[in-house]
Amino acid sequence: MAGNNSVNISFTVNGENFNNVNVPSRQHLADYLRSQGFTGTHLGCEQGACGACTIEMDGKAVRSCLVLASQANGANLKTVEGFDDEMMEKVKQNFLKHNAFQCGFCSPGMLMTTKEILLNKKKLTRDEIRSEISGNYCRCTGYQSIVDAIEECINEIN
Amino acid sequence: MKAAHFSYHEALNLQDAIKIKAHDDESVILAGGQSLLPALNMRLSSPTCLIDISKISGLNEIKIDGQTLFIGALATHSDVMNNKTVKNNMPCMFDILKMVAHPAIRNKGTHGGSIAYGDPAAELPALAVATNAEIIVSGQNGDRSINAKDFYLGLFETTINQDEIVVGIKYPLLKKGQKIVFDEVCRRHGDYAMAGLIANVMGSKNDIKDLKLVFFATGDKPDVADKTARLCLENGYDYDKLKNSLSTEIDFAGDLNSSSEMKLHLATVLIKKVLSKLEI
Ligand SMILES: Cc1cc2nc3c(=O)[nH]c(=O)nc-3n(C[C@H](O)[C@H](O)[C@H](O)COP(=O)(O)OP(=O)(O)OC[C@H]3O[C@@H](n4cnc5c(N)ncnc54)[C@H](O)[C@@H]3O)c2cc1C
Ligand code: FES
Ligand code: FES
Repeated sequence: MAGNNSVNISFTVNGENFNNVNVPSRQHLADYLRSQGFTGTHLGCEQGACGACTIEMDGKAVRSCLVLASQANGANLKTVEGFDDEMMEKVKQNFLKHNAFQCGFCSPGMLMTTKEILLNKKKLTRDEIRSEISGNYCRCTGYQSIVDAIEECINEIN
Repeated sequence: MKAAHFSYHEALNLQDAIKIKAHDDESVILAGGQSLLPALNMRLSSPTCLIDISKISGLNEIKIDGQTLFIGALATHSDVMNNKTVKNNMPCMFDILKMVAHPAIRNKGTHGGSIAYGDPAAELPALAVATNAEIIVSGQNGDRSINAKDFYLGLFETTINQDEIVVGIKYPLLKKGQKIVFDEVCRRHGDYAMAGLIANVMGSKNDIKDLKLVFFATGDKPDVADKTARLCLENGYDYDKLKNSLSTEIDFAGDLNSSSEMKLHLATVLIKKVLSKLEI
């Protein structure tokens, strides 16, 4: 049988180096990150549907339940714990202001998706915002407050 | 749930991947992982070995090749949506891919993966059939080119051999007056469709010269409805007649969200919706 049941990989998480760590081949990235204390990455469905595990991999949003840890070799990862730049601090303030965090389960994924929306620098209508966050389930807010928060973020940026 | 054990092999190049695949018939290719990983996590599939092709260079090229638009297998849905050559030559692609999953999934999911997987509810296999595209596969005996209509055999079943890997798809360039129009019905933006239609049309709204209808999320593979298309060309849109014709031409397969009867209704209505998008 070709390949291995575990592999050694190196990558960064929020700027911190992980060198030559051994990961089981079958472990997905979300489980690995959580095992290392990055528990802000939430797991809802493990099939790509809920969006709670969305993180940034080499500058792009990905579902960490649908990436194997072994595939992260050489990657730069950013989790919600690393969302501390000026833009993301503002986003978090807007989420707080509009009560867009309730239980907080969907929040890491919502913040990541908001980040990608803001980086695209497009002015979006409320309907378009809803379509952009359609890949992230929220069971608490009814989405209204999240759309309010994202709308304010977009207005501040443009 | 968590995936069962498997070994992981990062392919160095295409030949390396073909060699392993040929010698282990329980190994599978890992491209974007956006269909494979959900299946592994849910233990719907338990291969012995994953051959990761995602880091092979040169397989994500997008270019004009003769009279075709070539899209390399590893181009992600996001790559294809943002590509100028695609935008200029196949403007329908953006609208279609916008309905494929969500941005974070499109950042990883690949064009070739979607074509190779052959999910009957997926948009791209239907587009490939509707446009008469050629699927290029590479194996131990070199490359072969398979017409999309011959590629899909049934539910997740294609003509691809164990040693073969999809390397790209060639879409014929559109001729003057030719248009690809598309629509689908789904419960949530980005979810798999309950029924969808890709139409390849020659002519304008009031003067359609040729029409090809290919449905997805209706049966076990992209469903070509030539008889219904002819009827529509001859008689115009008549709900009852077209519905009747579709019911004899497609073996509608219901799923959790929609019965076969409902899919038949949606498919019939989609013909009207799609034709209304044509310019006069
Ligand atoms: C929540 C969610 C919603 C989705 N919604 C849609 C949707 O609405 N419409 C839609 O079309 N898709 C949808 N998808 C699937 C997505 O488009 C996938 O990216 C795509 O189907 C498979 O591409 P991949 O690169 O991820 O393939 P993988 O998951 O890596 O592979 C899928 C299968 O194809 C095989 N394979 C992959 N590449 C090759 C190749 N080059 N040669 C030979 N075999 C290969 C693999 O062995 C595997 O069996 C959705 C996915 C998720 C998680
Ligand atoms: S846990 Fe990854 S999308 Fe739901
Ligand atoms: S705040 Fe509870 S799921 Fe969104």
